[in-house]
Amino acid sequence: MTQLIAGQLLNGAIVGTLYGIVALGVTLTFGITGIVNFALGVFMMFGAYAAWYFSDTLGLPYPLAVLAAVAVTAAAGLVADQALFRFTRNNLVNGLLVSLGLIAVLEACALLVFTSTPKELHRVLPGIVMVAGLVLPKMKLVVFALLLVVIFATYAALTRTWTGRAAYAYAQNPEAAALMGVATSRLQTGVVVYSCGLAGLGGALYASLYSLEPTLGSLFILKAIEAAILAGIGSVTGALLGGVILGVTEGVGSIYLPLAFRDAYGLVFLVVILLFKPAGLFAGRR
Amino acid sequence: MTRLAGTLVIAALLAALPLATQSDFVLTILVFAFLQGMVAVSFNLVFGYAGQLSMFHAAAFGIAAYATHLFMQHLGVGYWGGVLLGATLVAAISVVVGAICFRFRLREFYFAVVTLAFSEMARLTVLNWNSMTNGSLGINLQEKATLWIPGMGVTRIESTVGWYYLALAALGLTLLACWRLVHSWMGRAFAAIRLNDELGDTLGINVFRYKLVAFVAGSVMAAFAGSLYAYFLGSLEPGYLSIDQSLGIIAMVLLGGRSAVAAPVVGALVLTALPHLINFSAEVRSMVYGAILIFTILVMPQGIYGTFAQLLRRRHA
Repeated sequence: MTQLIAGQLLNGAIVGTLYGIVALGVTLTFGITGIVNFALGVFMMFGAYAAWYFSDTLGLPYPLAVLAAVAVTAAAGLVADQALFRFTRNNLVNGLLVSLGLIAVLEACALLVFTSTPKELHRVLPGIVMVAGLVLPKMKLVVFALLLVVIFATYAALTRTWTGRAAYAYAQNPEAAALMGVATSRLQTGVVVYSCGLAGLGGALYASLYSLEPTLGSLFILKAIEAAILAGIGSVTGALLGGVILGVTEGVGSIYLPLAFRDAYGLVFLVVILLFKPAGLFAGRR
Repeated sequence: MTRLAGTLVIAALLAALPLATQSDFVLTILVFAFLQGMVAVSFNLVFGYAGQLSMFHAAAFGIAAYATHLFMQHLGVGYWGGVLLGATLVAAISVVVGAICFRFRLREFYFAVVTLAFSEMARLTVLNWNSMTNGSLGINLQEKATLWIPGMGVTRIESTVGWYYLALAALGLTLLACWRLVHSWMGRAFAAIRLNDELGDTLGINVFRYKLVAFVAGSVMAAFAGSLYAYFLGSLEPGYLSIDQSLGIIAMVLLGGRSAVAAPVVGALVLTALPHLINFSAEVRSMVYGAILIFTILVMPQGIYGTFAQLLRRRHA
């Protein structure tokens, strides 16, 4: 039993970093553009299918396919930003509705192009590692490590570089930041594109672990938004922690409670957090 | 007075329509459009007038549809008994959900997320409560809706024409109820809450109470629409409660317009008729919905009704 729980804890943490990477995009986009981009889930799906396409159909080596997928997703994000999100800055309801519309359009495109039959990427890195009697696939560990690196690199970039500090400054006071020489519209576009790239990376890595369906984005974005809110929107490390907490709750919750309601545990948790600690679990921290 | 005359003329024309066309195709589309219009109008009460982006509307619609069937089957009540019990159940649930959200002062995005969470919980319950709801397969409804008609006693409504009048009457009642509500002192409280609820609070408006009234009233109207819709279609499925359904409702309201009580009906007519007139597959239909949603928000934020009203006003001026 302890083995089962430990296994679910680890699994939950790994899935949690996937929630975390999308949640990071949600948090960044919200902080800088004032909208909640539900479409990030669709960009994740886009990244996953791009990785599958580059790697399985075009035969690129997997790491290259991931890079290409991230680039393509970021480019798609740039197009979406210039064509749509540019017009909904700081208008929460409109931004929400436009991103919902974008989900409907892109998901339908994916269904038409890739059909609803699940796609499987060939085994990228077979083999398992045994840790204290726990069986862990190597690829899961690689994904886990990669995502952690990216999230902490983002954190470092936000706190150490000029652009990063400009972003923080902008989130706190847009006018003052503009007066100090921050190119605000470029910063907003940059953050939207970076968030889409992160979601694309999440998707490309997801593709190496699970089979792909066009609806995977909708499920993930709900989880990512839950994770972002859980930790308090606006916090970078909080997005990761929120994701991990959510993943672990689901993993461990489904041992003791009916599996069918797996997706509901996070929701119950979220509602309770929003009611009693509306600023998030780690309010006041970055 | 001209407005009243205009309304009466439109109502008379719609009531006379089955005399002009016997086409089942046209009438079926209109029944769907009227019932969807009911949902859209009631959603607009919550979203357009009181300013609360509720994602619970599809859940209210679906819960009532399932509840009507289950009450009829397990309590042995008639169709209208089931409809009333279903609406009562939805009212009770939305009082709880609304009270939780508004008591804790959840606004805008947070309100949308929490109502979405409740809506998803309802959907998961319907999806997994196999003994009652038959899970993802849904239920084929064996019972028929009945209605007491003077001179004919209690009869089953089976013909499309019968449903046409029932749906038209239901839509008319919904519009009337919303119109009365919005143009009362309560409607002014809704507007104050939409524009600035903190200011409304300082002016002595009980923000909690009127948000709750708007939310529950909207949900109950959606509940009636759900019970009718399910029995016209003759089947139940968990998709009634899905996020896509919520998205469809929002699209109708935005496309129609938010500024008048009846404006969302225009959106419902267009979006219901469109897929029937042009033969879309399910994927293309969802794509069109999404594209319309984006287009209306970016290009025509006032919706069809608002845009036309503005054009007319400009011509008169």
